[in-house]
Amino acid sequence: MIHCERVTKSYPMGAGRKHVLRGVDLTVERGDHVGFLGRNGAGKTTLIKLIAGVELPTSGRIRRERSVSWPLGFGGGFQGSLTGYDNARFISRIYGLQYSQIRDFVEDFSELGVQLKMPVKTYSSGMRARLAFALSLAIEFDCYLIDEVIMVGDQNFLKKCHYELFEKRRDRALIFASHSAELVREFCDRALVIEQGHATLYPDVNEALDVYAAL
Amino acid sequence: MSSFAAGWRIQRRVIGALMIRELVTRFGRENIGFLWMMVEPLLFAGLVGILWRYMKGPEMHGVSVVAFVASGYIPLTLFRNSVGRSIRVFSVNGSLMYHRQIKVLDFIFVRFLIEMIGAMMAFLLIGTLLIFFDLFPVPADLGALLAGWFFFCLFTFSLCLVLAPLSELSDALEKLVPVTTYVMIPFSGVFNMTSWLTPQAQKVMYYSPFVHSMELMRYGIFGSRIDAQWDIFVPFAASILFLLIGLALCRRIRRHLVVE
Repeated sequence: MIHCERVTKSYPMGAGRKHVLRGVDLTVERGDHVGFLGRNGAGKTTLIKLIAGVELPTSGRIRRERSVSWPLGFGGGFQGSLTGYDNARFISRIYGLQYSQIRDFVEDFSELGVQLKMPVKTYSSGMRARLAFALSLAIEFDCYLIDEVIMVGDQNFLKKCHYELFEKRRDRALIFASHSAELVREFCDRALVIEQGHATLYPDVNEALDVYAAL
Repeated sequence: MSSFAAGWRIQRRVIGALMIRELVTRFGRENIGFLWMMVEPLLFAGLVGILWRYMKGPEMHGVSVVAFVASGYIPLTLFRNSVGRSIRVFSVNGSLMYHRQIKVLDFIFVRFLIEMIGAMMAFLLIGTLLIFFDLFPVPADLGALLAGWFFFCLFTFSLCLVLAPLSELSDALEKLVPVTTYVMIPFSGVFNMTSWLTPQAQKVMYYSPFVHSMELMRYGIFGSRIDAQWDIFVPFAASILFLLIGLALCRRIRRHLVVE
């Protein structure tokens, strides 16, 4: 359902360019749970942004055949000066959904209480993660893109995410960037190791984790 | 056809959501809320109108000073605000790129739309008020007034579409915009009719797309009491040209846009 074909991405850096991705091929089908592994700055977040369509590849092609969520990460995706409720209203409007349903789900899932009436810029990163998860789970996507963020939550939040993502929505595709070997081993059935702009897909997660550990 | 209808539905939804988002961030929900968007053009047109009334007397070239100034200042604030709002619009709205149904043209258009609606509300209000006090004529030709307004808006928007991407490429542009919009006032036709000028100046004014729209608007308001002259081809051709350049530039900027 998601096909990346020879995707490259480079950014201007001084007089030259920094090549972050140098030709990545990847296919993710419905129900696949793919872990992205790589050191800081290897390009995990960049690849997730390209898959989400937040940024566009320098060359190559990305095809999405079903609905793909926005990247759930620490930053981005919110209007900081608006309250949690206003962000929920905005999301429900652009996705054409009933606000009351989204609101109920967000209140219940995020457990942010009165904080939802505060501007998002006043939130801690854990609170942002809660809101981001709540909003994207309130919309039924066929593929969820998760960038690290799951790890900032407390035990209770992690349990909820686990239930919503890996039990209730086990048939959906999931792309999950993380440094945590434990989480990747637990949740992913394949893993992509990104290094020096090249990406290698390992059908065996343990093998991928070994390669990653040796980087 | 059904995919076109679906696309249109999404488009309307996105524009509506972006408008509300922009209005809430800019004006909040306190006191008069979104009605603030017409306050600035209203105050400008009203206060400057009164100022001119006492500086220049009740009439100039046979038309009411207040009406002439009001009908000039509202398009002028529309132009100045829309141009100002389109600067750095890509970087400011980067977070919207998280949602694929939102395109860069949507938020450029929405910012312009808010200015346009605010200016139209102000125009309507001040016009009605002044007609009531007999300081503004009942529009002689409503069609001409609306057509003039349409071409003024079209050209302003096409200019925003060029300036928005250019402002991302060059920081200098941001600094140059306020002074440029000020210096262009004499070439905009908002405070004078072409027929009041010398033949030489008239020739120069012919190339200003704003002038033709303003003349048409003025004709719509004052009718034959003023000598209005316009050639709608000028603003139309200039708008089409700027729209095409703007679309190409926006596409280019979007490709290279870096989102946090």
